[in-house]
Amino acid sequence: MAYSNFTLETVRKTFQLETFEATDISADLAPVDLSAHLTTALEKKVPLAIAIGTEKASSELIVTDVLVELREKFENRISFFSGIDFNVDPESGLTGVCDFLVSLSPTQFHLETPIIILVEAKKDNPALGFGQCVAEMIAAQRFNKEKGTDIPRIYGAATTGTMWQFLKLEGNNLHIDRRVYSIEQCGKILGILSSMVEQKA
Amino acid sequence: MAYSDFTLETAVETFDLKIVEPMGFFSGLETIDPGRNFTTHLANRVQLADAINTDKAKSELIISHVIFELQEHCDCRISFFSGTDFDVDAESGLDGVCDFLISLSPTQLFITAPVAILVEVPPISGKDESIIIGLGPCVAKMVAAQRFNAKKGNEISRIYGATTKGTEWMFLQLEEQRLSVDLMPYPIAQCDKILGILASMVKQKA
Repeated sequence: MAYSNFTLETVRKTFQLETFEATDISADLAPVDLSAHLTTALEKKVPLAIAIGTEKASSELIVTDVLVELREKFENRISFFSGIDFNVDPESGLTGVCDFLVSLSPTQFHLETPIIILVEAKKDNPALGFGQCVAEMIAAQRFNKEKGTDIPRIYGAATTGTMWQFLKLEGNNLHIDRRVYSIEQCGKILGILSSMVEQKA
Repeated sequence: MAYSDFTLETAVETFDLKIVEPMGFFSGLETIDPGRNFTTHLANRVQLADAINTDKAKSELIISHVIFELQEHCDCRISFFSGTDFDVDAESGLDGVCDFLISLSPTQLFITAPVAILVEVPPISGKDESIIIGLGPCVAKMVAAQRFNAKKGNEISRIYGATTKGTEWMFLQLEEQRLSVDLMPYPIAQCDKILGILASMVKQKA
């Protein structure tokens, strides 16, 4: 059992989550201005990633650039990780590799708490990443607590690169934003991610 | 059997290759100045990838960045693929996923001949392993590219390969059965050199 085995249904049952779905969870969060560099890069990289059509290409060409920009926006005061093992509680199935993970610690050489955002990449449909992403969010909640750096909310993003959906975990309450944001609205996506870092989402 | 099962030894034996190891084989090629914008971003991305130290992060932050720049430099007359299945001859073990693959065709929706460059990213296992372990799978993919191009009636005389974890690059050339492995690793600090070598490969002049 590992993160990738969870569906939204099994993760809800296993960890007794109460779920709330809405379409306006992130609606009021302000978009941010993109750097000229990211704007130009995405113009070319998005169609390329779509043509290649693999999760690997989307992660390389889109998701990475968005997260690098997020980290730069916060002047590298946050860290992000890609493809690292995140083994928290094997008995509960909370083990495996995380696609992307953002921590509020600036330490980049190893993972330090508090972990704030878990990003799960999927090839075709972001919603198919919900189960795995929520399992990782629960692991982050436990991991932060164990290390004595509890924060009230853990966030999640499930993405194909071109489509993004967002999640929020507060105690046992899981909020699922039904709205799908397109990479065309990258300023809004970065705005949401920034609000998450600031714990205002 | 798949690409990843090959070592350099089994690939050379299986496909009856004649291996030569000319040190600095690619070192005399023209460099390409990628421009300051690229270089500044690359420096930050290299630092970040080194800190994270997974093959995923190295592919995302460094290797794809370099190959994208190569494609830009070639005005998109070439295509590149990442994580795409390249099943050519399952009986000979020539099947599996390619880390990165460059074709001289501009078609970007599927792999079209002639396939020219195969880039292998060996897994990072925690041990300090050399990029040399990527040579076997890379050579097997180069042989597959040779067969793929022949099957599609679009043969080119040379197929090239690279094995890299981002920070160091090693290059290969396959011409018929003759495999040249340049034992000199090229560091990412010389990205003008690395881009120059890749661009010469695209022109079939490396």
